[in-house]
Amino acid sequence: MGKAAHSLTAAAFLRLVCAARIRIPVCDIESSSMTRLTRRQLLAAAAALSAARAQDAPAIPGKRPLIMHSDRPEDLETPNEALETWITPNDSFFVRQHLPRPTVDPAVWRLTVNGLVEKPLTLALADLRRLPQHKVVATLECTGNGRGFYRPRVPGIQWMRGAIGNAEWTGPRLSEILKLAGAKADAPYLETDGADTGVAKTPDFIRSMPMRKTLDPSTILALEMNGQPLPEIHGGPARLVVPGWDGTSWVKWVIRFSVAAEPNKGFFMNPGYRYPKYALPPGSPPVPAELEVIEGMPVKSSITTPVDQQRIPPGPFTIRGFAWAGEERIVRVDVSTDGGSRWAPAVLSSPALNFAWRQWTYRWTPPKPGYYTILSRATDSAGRVQPVVAEWNPSGYLWNAIDRAGVIVEKSA
Amino acid sequence: MRILLLACVISGAAWAADNPEARQAEARECTACHGLRLIHSQRLSQAAWAKEIDKMIGWGATVKNRQLLLDYLSTEYPDSKPVPEDPKSADGRSMPAKPR
Repeated sequence: MGKAAHSLTAAAFLRLVCAARIRIPVCDIESSSMTRLTRRQLLAAAAALSAARAQDAPAIPGKRPLIMHSDRPEDLETPNEALETWITPNDSFFVRQHLPRPTVDPAVWRLTVNGLVEKPLTLALADLRRLPQHKVVATLECTGNGRGFYRPRVPGIQWMRGAIGNAEWTGPRLSEILKLAGAKADAPYLETDGADTGVAKTPDFIRSMPMRKTLDPSTILALEMNGQPLPEIHGGPARLVVPGWDGTSWVKWVIRFSVAAEPNKGFFMNPGYRYPKYALPPGSPPVPAELEVIEGMPVKSSITTPVDQQRIPPGPFTIRGFAWAGEERIVRVDVSTDGGSRWAPAVLSSPALNFAWRQWTYRWTPPKPGYYTILSRATDSAGRVQPVVAEWNPSGYLWNAIDRAGVIVEKSA
Repeated sequence: MRILLLACVISGAAWAADNPEARQAEARECTACHGLRLIHSQRLSQAAWAKEIDKMIGWGATVKNRQLLLDYLSTEYPDSKPVPEDPKSADGRSMPAKPR
């Protein structure tokens, strides 16, 4: 190959690299000098391009590597191996954002409390810190966690198991904040607005919650997450914590509470985050009049070890996972290692609390090499049992079918 | 080595150069509000892509040629193709998160 052919290739290659906006120094070289590129520079560029194609995902400050479904805004899923502790550390916790992340300076941040109240208020962070601080350990799960399992597929982020985490949240109760403002005792709803706003005509993120749940002693405005000031990416300086309810209810970057006679009519209340009143045949379009707001979450368990299609050596093996039940408690998890013919109880290792998940383990010695289908099935304090088939719905919410992982047991270690 | 390099270039060209008009339209019309990864991690039927495009137009996206975008999305990212395994973010633990 002659020099001309080589340099043409180099120039074409660099145009591709630069068009892909991969930051390598050669993109800054004037085109006239492209012909003088060394083989080493070319190889570096080739490596950068192939690495970028395989793993073109930036680091997120404060976060370990997470599955990146979207980089702007960040939508990040926790991988199985980081879901095996009772408390999910802040650096591993999943992230779901609908709108560009707002910049909120805690020094000037204010919370407005208005609507059906005797005394409208504007509170600073220090005012909230002076109220009694309540701690609650609660599992936060994205409403669409497990959407990627539904067939036919539905639009939306294709979350698998990891749009979930369990943390200790600290902050004042909503009931205390509303008492300060003298909220009308019979007002039926609380409307919450976050500081995130839509670009162009994208709807603002506003949610309404019935007063029954608002005044529950476990419902708080969290200022801390796992003993740290609430990180900005998780809604800092203040977010709702609505234990047992879907993630959409846990509004981030809260700036306004309005006590109201009616629920908000914006997109994120209707048609967003609604579920069919009656089960639909898979693939059906939604019937807007027959959708209702999602509140408490269903009973569910997940297998974290093994990961699906993992190869393991012969001999004893510990199957691991977690189970949770919205506002209820997990009382039992059963495991099958033969595709569901026989079931046996798993050992539950964390406390049986409302709102918080429980870790479970199942010690298993495969009888011989080969392929096994492992299943897990949770039962809660209300007697709900995880179903074999999750109910298909047009937005892919609330996936809770029995979890399943295939495993290959090798002949020798 | 040159064959390897050439293979990289050809696959790179195939990746970057298919349907450049639609890709440019996508980059111009969709990225004011969100990154392209949000689109490319989905696999949808043509009807579902049409619904998503119309939702975004309703939310203020300026789409000059709806059919161009629809043909491109339903050809490149149809529900008949498997959903890609999304990459992991790089490690950001040494970069301080903003505590608020």
